[in-house]
Amino acid sequence: MFWNIQYSRASLVLLIVFSVLMLEGCSVAPWERGNLAKKQMLIVPNPNRTALRQHVFDSKESSQGGMGSAGGGCGCN
Amino acid sequence: MMNSGQNLDLTNYKNQVLLIDFWATWCPPCKQSMPFLNALRNEFLDKGFEIIAINVDEDSQDAQSFLEKYPVDYQVAYDERGDCPAKYDVKAMPSSYFIDRQGKLRYVHLGFRHADETEIRTRVLELLQESR
Repeated sequence: MFWNIQYSRASLVLLIVFSVLMLEGCSVAPWERGNLAKKQMLIVPNPNRTALRQHVFDSKESSQGGMGSAGGGCGCN
Repeated sequence: MMNSGQNLDLTNYKNQVLLIDFWATWCPPCKQSMPFLNALRNEFLDKGFEIIAINVDEDSQDAQSFLEKYPVDYQVAYDERGDCPAKYDVKAMPSSYFIDRQGKLRYVHLGFRHADETEIRTRVLELLQESR
């Protein structure tokens, strides 16, 4: 029983290590980035709109930070 | 080659200074470099300078459409099988390979910014001034 638990843990660790190592095979060559360069692949597809919304959010919530934007609190800037 | 369907043969460019440029329509610096490269090519054409652009778009139609809008005077080849950049070990887009009159690879320029124009021009001039 003890041996089985140890064995399954070792297998799990090996599986995780192997999975992490396999992730290194996911590199994309510089000339194969056509699809990644598409607009719909952006994390922030509309930076201006996101910045505006973040600014309004910061002002309303009297908080800022984490997004690198200035202002907040009074809602006047 | 784009449009003609012929294969690119580098032996046709013996005794010429050659700049092989890897580019794609999805790469903004590549597109920025093209007017400069075209002007450079036309300026030094009579001194034995030529540019060959190799397009690496997945769909060659993207390149065709772009070139119809923004034509260039130098030859543009399309890498149909997609193995050419790997053979040249392309590290960035765009990448420019400077080949001297003896056919030797002398310099590789990675990326493109307008600030690089002077350096590229100087490299081409240096290679052109070397004896045949």
